[in-house]
Amino acid sequence: MKKALFLLMAASIALPAVALCADLEYFQVYKPREGMTADEIMQIEYFVKYTKFAHDIDLRGKAYFVDKSGYVRERQTLRQRITLGRVSDGMAYKDLNMFTAPAQVKGLSILTWTYLDPKKQSDIWMWIPSLKKIRKVSQAQGDDSFMGGDFTVEDITTRKFEDETYTFLRNENFKGYACEFDKQVYFKDAPCFVIEARPKKSPWYYSRRVLWVDKNTGGAVYEEMYDPNEKLFRTFFKNFVIYNVNGREYPTQVLLECKDLRTGHRSVIVNSDIVYDQGLSEDLFSERALIQSRW
Amino acid sequence: MRLTLLITCCLFLGQSIALSAEGDFTLSGYLKNEIALREEGLNSDLAKLKNIVQLAGEYKINGDDLVFFTKAQYAYDAMYDLRDQYDRGQDWMGHTQRTYWLRDCYLDYTQGPWFLRLGKQQVAWGQADGITVLDRVNPVDLSEYWLQDFVDMRIPLWMANINYSPKLNANLQVLIIPDFEESTSASLYAPFTTYSYIRYEDWRKAQRDVDQNVYYPAKRFENSTFALQWSDMIGDLGYTINYLYGYYYSARNSTLFVSGNPFGGPASVWRVNRSFKRWSMYGASFNKTFTNPGPLQGITLRGDWAFYNNEPMYWGDPLIASSSGIKRWDNIFWLLGADKYVVTNWLVSFQFGQYILQHSKPGATTSQRNYIFNPFTYGAQDPVENIFSLKISTDFLNERLKPEILWSFTDDNQGRVSPKVNYEIRDNLWLTLGVHYFYGSMMDSNGQYRDQSQVYSHIKLTF
Repeated sequence: MKKALFLLMAASIALPAVALCADLEYFQVYKPREGMTADEIMQIEYFVKYTKFAHDIDLRGKAYFVDKSGYVRERQTLRQRITLGRVSDGMAYKDLNMFTAPAQVKGLSILTWTYLDPKKQSDIWMWIPSLKKIRKVSQAQGDDSFMGGDFTVEDITTRKFEDETYTFLRNENFKGYACEFDKQVYFKDAPCFVIEARPKKSPWYYSRRVLWVDKNTGGAVYEEMYDPNEKLFRTFFKNFVIYNVNGREYPTQVLLECKDLRTGHRSVIVNSDIVYDQGLSEDLFSERALIQSRW
Repeated sequence: MRLTLLITCCLFLGQSIALSAEGDFTLSGYLKNEIALREEGLNSDLAKLKNIVQLAGEYKINGDDLVFFTKAQYAYDAMYDLRDQYDRGQDWMGHTQRTYWLRDCYLDYTQGPWFLRLGKQQVAWGQADGITVLDRVNPVDLSEYWLQDFVDMRIPLWMANINYSPKLNANLQVLIIPDFEESTSASLYAPFTTYSYIRYEDWRKAQRDVDQNVYYPAKRFENSTFALQWSDMIGDLGYTINYLYGYYYSARNSTLFVSGNPFGGPASVWRVNRSFKRWSMYGASFNKTFTNPGPLQGITLRGDWAFYNNEPMYWGDPLIASSSGIKRWDNIFWLLGADKYVVTNWLVSFQFGQYILQHSKPGATTSQRNYIFNPFTYGAQDPVENIFSLKISTDFLNERLKPEILWSFTDDNQGRVSPKVNYEIRDNLWLTLGVHYFYGSMMDSNGQYRDQSQVYSHIKLTF
């Protein structure tokens, strides 16, 4: 009995207050290095994608959906995230996304709680302006479109490191990406790790992704997605910029462009007015915050 | 009290604007056209030709800590001018009534754990979709039955909405509502006039003299509605505990025959007194999403439970629609809903509820049959009403095209089927096409409109 108690105490002392994301500790800044395995590089890529290095982030986003005829639809959002990495209740981070334009969707707000356990789905609440009411909703399926764009829900919010297996393909200087949105060429000759990711779920809407992970930021600047027939059907570009916050370098997604090669439709997300670590309160990520909606 | 609140809001706003050098003002609104055609074989006819304008403004006086918000709306339905059979409904149905044009007008104040919303507003309680188990804080405008969006159906009230959060994810809400508005329904000569109203009017016309009076609650503080909601979480289970005490928003008629004096005194008269009764509601709600792996993963369960204390209800003989009086019963209304995404983006939502009257078997207590009435039709209300709804929705074309079908029904073989499609023509231009198909007996809530099934279109331009 004494031995069991001792082991229990030892285990509780050894348990960190802040969780580790696989082998990475929250609120640290990591960069991929030469000689890392595909798994290690992808752990950093996910860490960067979900801004787990920062305590909180606040940003304005604009999304553009462009069909093959060139017709553009636009959405504006205000997004906030608090990173918790808290072992006691298994909470990884909380997000609040609010649509601010156009008027038809203005006021629609989505509160998402994401857990440390990779197998656990998120808890989601929505403020629905036409009801003036909060509704608890189920997590959308991973292959559903995110905000009506060419991104899927899992591309932006739910895909986790544990959902795929990874193979290191090669080191490569990226050929550069000609962005259709602002006509600029990004990351030309940037040194990258090329990684292949295959989903554990089968059958699934893609058979594999090939990612170019920038050695400087740890972000996947470009990826190609192949359908179950091994045909390339989608490309996804992310522009990363380093933000210097209190002497720490935060790699930040400022522009995302995704093209569906089957339909000719493309989607762009532009993030601006990005503010890190301003001490957002966790109270802002609760149902109470949603009932304060006015629109 | 209402005046005091309004003056306080205005003074506070005026002072704040004066103090605030930098304000953040946002304006938004829409123009909307709604057309409905009553569908009855070859006798299709116009049932609605309504134009709505709405304007909303938000002024951030001091960041997000102090914000003023207001929203005004006006509607005009030309159908009442264009169709002779509805001409006499024009006064009440043809345009926005009373003060309903002011949808919101309040001041938000946030400081630490406190959040105050003072002014005209609506508050929605509960987890149910389209069924008001706990959603009883505001009265409702049923002039188009239950077909409008809830945001347009609730009648806003002047109130003090005080919130205090003692800990993370918990909130205590206190509502003090000195304002009073009654729930309304369609007038006579309208597509959605209730069958109970038609039957009452038939009776009234058959009498020589009917003296009708309405007695509203006196405008005194003690006649306010008071309400409380405690919300919190246990793990990932969210719950609320609710309480409301005030006047029931629907008036009840008391009918009395006063014999006249055959020797030259006053003539005999039917006296119909419409008055409002006090009631209280005790309730609770919950929601939970099964997030852990397993067969239930991805299912959201939600539920409402309410105990209506002293709910005023008509009773009498439904065959002759003769109300013998009002009973104040203790009834229970509960509802359970489940939602899940299946096959990528198909959302299936199912609800089951029961409205359980105090006495499960109303029998004959006098020589007259004695049943509780359905207030919409004066038909007999089932002792236990089983209510179901099923909604399936999805989207296509990058969420530009959103079809949805709602089927709500009860165990009396009556209900409504409402398929619709939303299409985003442009960012600021949206089209909705749909059908409301009613079926069932004239004595049932939906069945009474079986001749009012309609196809409709909405086109909305936002700015």
